[in-house]
Amino acid sequence: MNIVYSKLVKAIFYSWLFTMILSAGAIAQNNGASSKPEKAEPVSLPKVTQLDETGLKKLLEPNGKPLLINFWATWCDPCREEFPDLIKLDAEFKGKINFVTISLDDLIEINRDVPKFLAGMKAEMPAYLLKTADEGAAIALVTNDWTGGLPFSILFDASGKVAYFRQGKVKTDVLNAEIVKTLSVMEAAK
Amino acid sequence: MRRIIVGFFTIMVITAFGLISNTGKAANFEIGATLENFSLPDTVDQVRSLNNLKGKNGTAIIFLSAQCPVVKGYNERISQIAADYAAKGINFVGINSNATESLEWVRSHAAEHYKFPVLIDKGNVIADKLGASVTPEVFYIDAKNKLVYHGAIDNSRSGDNITSKYLQAAFDNSLAGKTIQQSRINAFGCSIKRAGE
Repeated sequence: MNIVYSKLVKAIFYSWLFTMILSAGAIAQNNGASSKPEKAEPVSLPKVTQLDETGLKKLLEPNGKPLLINFWATWCDPCREEFPDLIKLDAEFKGKINFVTISLDDLIEINRDVPKFLAGMKAEMPAYLLKTADEGAAIALVTNDWTGGLPFSILFDASGKVAYFRQGKVKTDVLNAEIVKTLSVMEAAK
Repeated sequence: MRRIIVGFFTIMVITAFGLISNTGKAANFEIGATLENFSLPDTVDQVRSLNNLKGKNGTAIIFLSAQCPVVKGYNERISQIAADYAAKGINFVGINSNATESLEWVRSHAAEHYKFPVLIDKGNVIADKLGASVTPEVFYIDAKNKLVYHGAIDNSRSGDNITSKYLQAAFDNSLAGKTIQQSRINAFGCSIKRAGE
């Protein structure tokens, strides 16, 4: 009788154990399913501010530091090619000069290709997109020496005078030297 | 006092040097200047001269690119304007001065989009002579080869909401014997990729 009772207890115990193991497996599986990433977190894109002719004029006003502007567009191959060099320049002169980028892309790209490209480049410079009905007037606001070709980089000294410009891909060493020179002139004038 | 004078002198010298060292291409062919005859090979290597290509009422010399998205956006309009004004005695002459574009590429682009000749400006000789630096960029010379308009075609790269047809206005005024009010208009485009850059 005792033997029969003992076997019965064992059978009940093993059944219970088996059930528990199965349940634990099912729970683990469920947990595994719920721990899968539901959706990739949207990458935060940099803010690109729309600029008109008035905004450009205001941006060009001297504010105590040299100002470097790079005019570019996502459709412009040399613009995209030179961007990594500009990122390095920004890192080198951060705090010493103001450096902004102005895109000439279509307005529709202000929340699409422009911030996407800037995010890919890890660009930290303030970014703008210029939209104007009169491109000639906007170009003339920057300098009369610019015919509108991209890319275009221009350096203004602290008083707002043109210190250097280049239409076409920047030569990093030359631009770097021009910034250093502009900063040294500013220091000498203090 | 001496320190101030030395500082001022240093600023003057450095500023002057900085301005001289600018590398932007300054336009050197101004409105009113006369363009001398020149010859360049076309896309099938036939040498063509301005004298043989010019229109009886003037010539629109247009700097083009086979890869520039801005030119691509204008191709249809360029072709249409060229056809419209060829009938009025103004001929179009395309020039490609981009060192980065192969002859085959320029040839197929020209054949696909234009009925006017496109000349190959190897070494950007004519681009340098005119001070052309962007595509598309037009130099409209009158019947006596005098530059009367330089710059953009219109004020819309995409072709949407065109409110100023600068080039057509220049043609129309010139044909009517009137003064061209807006003779110099800049617009955004692709920089010409010059040889050695």
